[in-house]
Parts: sequence; C-alpha cells; structure tokens
Amino acid sequence: MTELLQQLVDGIGRGSIYALLALGIAVIFGVMHLVNFAHGELITVSAYVSYALFTLGLDWWVLVPAILASSMLTALGIEFAAFRWVRNSSDFTMVLTSFGVHFVVQAIFVMAVSANRRTFARPGWLFETVSVGGVNLEIYDLVVIGFTLITLAGTVWLVRRTMFGMTLRAAAEDFEAARLMGVRSNRVIRGAFVLSGILAGVASIFWLMRTGQADPTAGLTPMLKGVLAALIGGLGSLGGAVLGGLALGLVEVLLISRLPDGLVGLTDGMVFVCIALLFVFRPQGMVTIRRAERV
Amino acid sequence: MGFDIDAVLAADLNDCAPAPSGDPLKIGFAADLSDLGGFADAPASQAADYFVDLINCVGGVNGTPLELTIQNIEGDPDVTQRAAQDLLDAGVSAILGPPFPDFGFPLLQVTAGQVPVLFVASTEPTLSDPAQLAFLVAFDDTAQASAAAEFALDQGWTTAATFSSPGPNFGYNPEIFTEVFEAGGGTVIADYNYVPIEDVDFSSQANEMANLDAPPDVVYSAMLAFQAAILRGQLDGVGVDTRFLITDAFEATGGYAEGEATEGFYHTTHSFPAAGSRVVILDEGFEAATGAALENPSFGGLAADAIAMVIDAFLRTGSHDPAVIGAAIAEAQGVEGVTGVLSYPSGSGSPEKPVYVHQVVNGEPSLAATIG
Repeated sequence: MTELLQQLVDGIGRGSIYALLALGIAVIFGVMHLVNFAHGELITVSAYVSYALFTLGLDWWVLVPAILASSMLTALGIEFAAFRWVRNSSDFTMVLTSFGVHFVVQAIFVMAVSANRRTFARPGWLFETVSVGGVNLEIYDLVVIGFTLITLAGTVWLVRRTMFGMTLRAAAEDFEAARLMGVRSNRVIRGAFVLSGILAGVASIFWLMRTGQADPTAGLTPMLKGVLAALIGGLGSLGGAVLGGLALGLVEVLLISRLPDGLVGLTDGMVFVCIALLFVFRPQGMVTIRRAERV
Repeated sequence: MGFDIDAVLAADLNDCAPAPSGDPLKIGFAADLSDLGGFADAPASQAADYFVDLINCVGGVNGTPLELTIQNIEGDPDVTQRAAQDLLDAGVSAILGPPFPDFGFPLLQVTAGQVPVLFVASTEPTLSDPAQLAFLVAFDDTAQASAAAEFALDQGWTTAATFSSPGPNFGYNPEIFTEVFEAGGGTVIADYNYVPIEDVDFSSQANEMANLDAPPDVVYSAMLAFQAAILRGQLDGVGVDTRFLITDAFEATGGYAEGEATEGFYHTTHSFPAAGSRVVILDEGFEAATGAALENPSFGGLAADAIAMVIDAFLRTGSHDPAVIGAAIAEAQGVEGVTGVLSYPSGSGSPEKPVYVHQVVNGEPSLAATIG
C-alpha cells in the first residue's frame, strides 16, 4: 500500500509540472485554435536568460522575475514576428508557422551561442524530502503542486471574472462576432500571448530549477509533454490541461514502476498506447467542453 | 622522415616555414554542427582546422600541404549524403565522420568503401567496419563499458545498479558493463529504465532504490550529465548513499559545469588534461591563436588523432589514393595521436587505446585510472 501511495505521490509530482506546461498551450488553443509548437521556445529563451544571469553571479531570487519577464516578452515577440502575419490563414498554416518558429529559435541559439549545454546551479532545497508515514515527499513536488493549483485558480479567475477574460472567451467563441461587438483583435490576441507567456514562465521556473541547463533544444521535451497533457485533458480546457498533466505523470510513473523488468523500456510507447486508447473512447480528451466554455 | 606530432603542436602560426607546395593531401570533414552533434563536432572541426594550419605551418607532411574541407551535415541524413558526395567529388583521400550513427550510416552508404571514413567522436561499435574502410578514432562502447567494469572491480565494489534505455549507447554500455562486472565477480542488483535526454524526474527509481536492502556500491549509466546530477540529488534526498560511474557522455554534456552536483563522480573519457599533455598543448595553442579555448578539448584531440591516422597512412604508402590510404589505416600500429597512441587490431575498425577514468574532485578532473 505504501509503495502504491509512493507511486501516486511521485506521479502527481511529475504530472504537476506537465500541468503547468499544458496551461499555456490550452490558453493559445482556446483563442486561436492553434496547437502552439513554439511554446517550448519560451522555455529555451528563459533557459538562456537564466544561464546569462547566473554567469553574472545572480541567484534564483532575481531569476524568477527575469524568467517571467523574458518568457512574456518572447511570447509577445513571437506573436508580433510570426503569428500576426498568418492570423487569418488556415489552422494548418498556423501550425506550420509554430514549427517554423521552433526551428528558427533553435538555429539562432546554435549559431549565436553553441550546440553545447550550458549549466547553472539548481536551488539548494531542490532535492530535500520529508517522509510522511513512510512516503517520501519531495519539497520541490509540493511547491510545484501548490503553484499549479494557484496558477490554475488565478488563470480561471482571470478568464472568468475580468473584462480581459470576457474578451478572451468572446474571441474563443466567435472571433469575427467578437470583433463586431467591439473586441479589439490585436489586443485580445496579444493578451492571450502575454498570458501564455506568463504561464510558460511559471512552468519554466520549475522546469529550469530541475534541469539547471540551457541548450538550443531545452524547450522541446517540456513542449511535447505540455502538448500531450493538453491533448489528454481536452484541448482548450484549463481544468482539462491540469487533469491531463496529472494523468500523464501518473501513467508514466506507474508504468516505470509496474511494468516487468524486460518491458520497462517500452514505457514511452505504452504511454502513447494509453493516449491512443483514450482517444478511441473519448476523442475530445478527458474533459468535454462546450465551445462557449473554451478558455 | 616521419610525422612529429609534438613539433607540429609546438609550431607558432606567426612564424611559419615556407608554405608547402605540390599536390595537397585532401581531407574532408562531414561535421554535424547542428544542435544534435555540434557538442562534439564544433570543437572537433575547430581543432581540425587549427591542427591542419599547424601542419602546413611546419612545412606540411614532408612538403605535401594538407587541405581540409569542412561540410556541415546539419544533423540531417540527406544533407549528410550530399556532403559526402561533394567531398568525394572534391577528391578527398579520407573523410572525418560525425558522432551519431543516424548520420554515420547514410555517410557510409555514399562512400561505399571508396574512401576511408574516420568517425572522430563516435563510440558506436557497429560503425566500425574495415571492409567498408570505416574506422572509429575514439574507443568504442565495448571498450569503455568494459574498462568501467574493470575499474569498478579494481575498487573493490561488488554491487552495482545500472540505469539504461534499450538501444545503442544508453542501453549497450550498461549491458556490457553488467556482463564484464558479473564475470569479474560483481553483482548488478538492479537495472532501472529511464528516457535518455528527456527524463528530469527520477523520483520513482530513487524511491525503489531506497527500498533495497542495501544501496549498490556504484550506479553505472551512459546518461547525460544533467540527468546524472538530478538522479544524484534525488538519491541523496531519499538517503541512498552510493557512487556514480558514467560514460564519456558525462564530460561531453558538461559534467564539470554541474559544480557540487557531480562532485566525486567517476567517468570514462578520451583524454586526461595533465599539464604538458598534448591535449593541453593543443587547447592552449588553439586559445592563443583564436582567443577562445576549445569547448571540449577531448573532441578536439580526437579530431587531431583522426588527421594523424590519415597522415600516418599517407607516409607509409606515399599515395593520395583513398583506397590505398584506407587499407593502410586498417593496419595502423602505434600512431602517436593527441589523446594517446592508436592501433587497429587485425580486422577491427575500433582502435586499441587507453580509456581514462576521471573523478571530479573540487570541480576538476582528477585521473583515477588509465585502463588499456
């Protein structure tokens, strides 16, 4: 029983960071119907900002606001440089644009910095654990779970209780109708990117605390995990993104722990089989949302 | 007259002999400068360029100039094959190859045994095939994992746990380590699976290890440095006190920059930067000439080794013909390189050369053993 409990705790810890990553992807999908594969570049840029600040001798107290700011500004920059020009194009064009941004940012860092990994110090408390009833709880996991809940609550409040949120939801429901009603398209899209940048920033802080490194593909794995979590939860749903992240983390940990020795190497493949099975029975993901509720 | 590598490394680019003339010995480098292989081939190509300048600075190879053409394969098999064809068309006598087999095999499909290919930074055993004139310059994974197991046994460690992922390198190294370690009387008490490059959370494996009767004497893996650092932190967090022995991936992926997180780690690697060693002389000379040190002197040294192998074959045969040079490389014995002395055992394209075991002490490499 303790072993299962430990695995559940490990899975929720792992899944919480995926949930944070999925939230930013869900926001952009809700407004633009775009699965933004360039979301990981916000983490890549944050990683290099972190590395640069560390080389200047600054610590995590400075890094946290710097990561949030750099992620938000990068999101705005990507919207201005890439997505603005294809906003009225097909969904497929926008997805291709997001791939283009991903490869361009990667190439810029390879050319301007290096293909080599750059390392910076992780916070001292990162791997500390507390034991409760025989179950080890990582302080890091507890912090991430807490911030995931706070971030989810804050985002839901912003979307449901503020004028900005109302314009986001209106744009998500029918962009053209919202414009006719006086919603300014540039402002709402910019706002969505700022929000997704902040959410990516929060996820980056915790992701980078763990990895402690910058490289041109630093954002690739978190982006893929975030997209998977958002898909599992139901694209466009904030609560679904969090549920999807937690489900992904739990499934990964349970497979790693429970598969027979010779089959553990199939963990990643089995995760995708589970996702495929989910989509057979629930193509919309775990959470069903009416279009009007999207974001 | 032979090739005096020490004289070459001591050359001053500001005070060169008259430029050599005549038919140049052409060498190509299909270098992966992308985010995939750039960690190895960026310093390797920079060092190769510098090393060729030094050779020409001392008058070439017995008066024959060396010409190096670097083609960026961009981490793409199609680009690799085009680059290989361009180098063949340019009449190179040998090609230096990229680190990963995903691009090494496409390269070999084009060269098809017409020209020798020396893989500078690859440790993948299946890439070496003398019949195809394909050679490794670094030791292969069989050698490095065997050396790691031998080292572990020499330390008196009797139990080990491995972290692996099925497939070459990440799976093959732990597999060979297990074979050799157990054949030598050790026991591998557990093998934990992980996803190379991607995993940043080893809490489930750490908690499983915490439940073992006793922690293993050593954890062996081919994982990247940042993953090893996270694993160590999480094992420390749950009270598992053990040692870490990692492959050359540790140094290649910035193990020393991890600071305290990897203090005490052991790892196998290609050279040891002892004061006055050729690796250090190459690195210092490069820095003096360009204003920046090599990002990874070991890979720089391996590139110089590859060029030294081609020069040795050229000197023994006096031929520019790639087939003749390739056949001579296959019989190379005792070639003085930057990372060590290289020989190819009969019928093998993987060199016999030392495996250095480093320990991280105060954030610096300390030589724990030299195996082979």
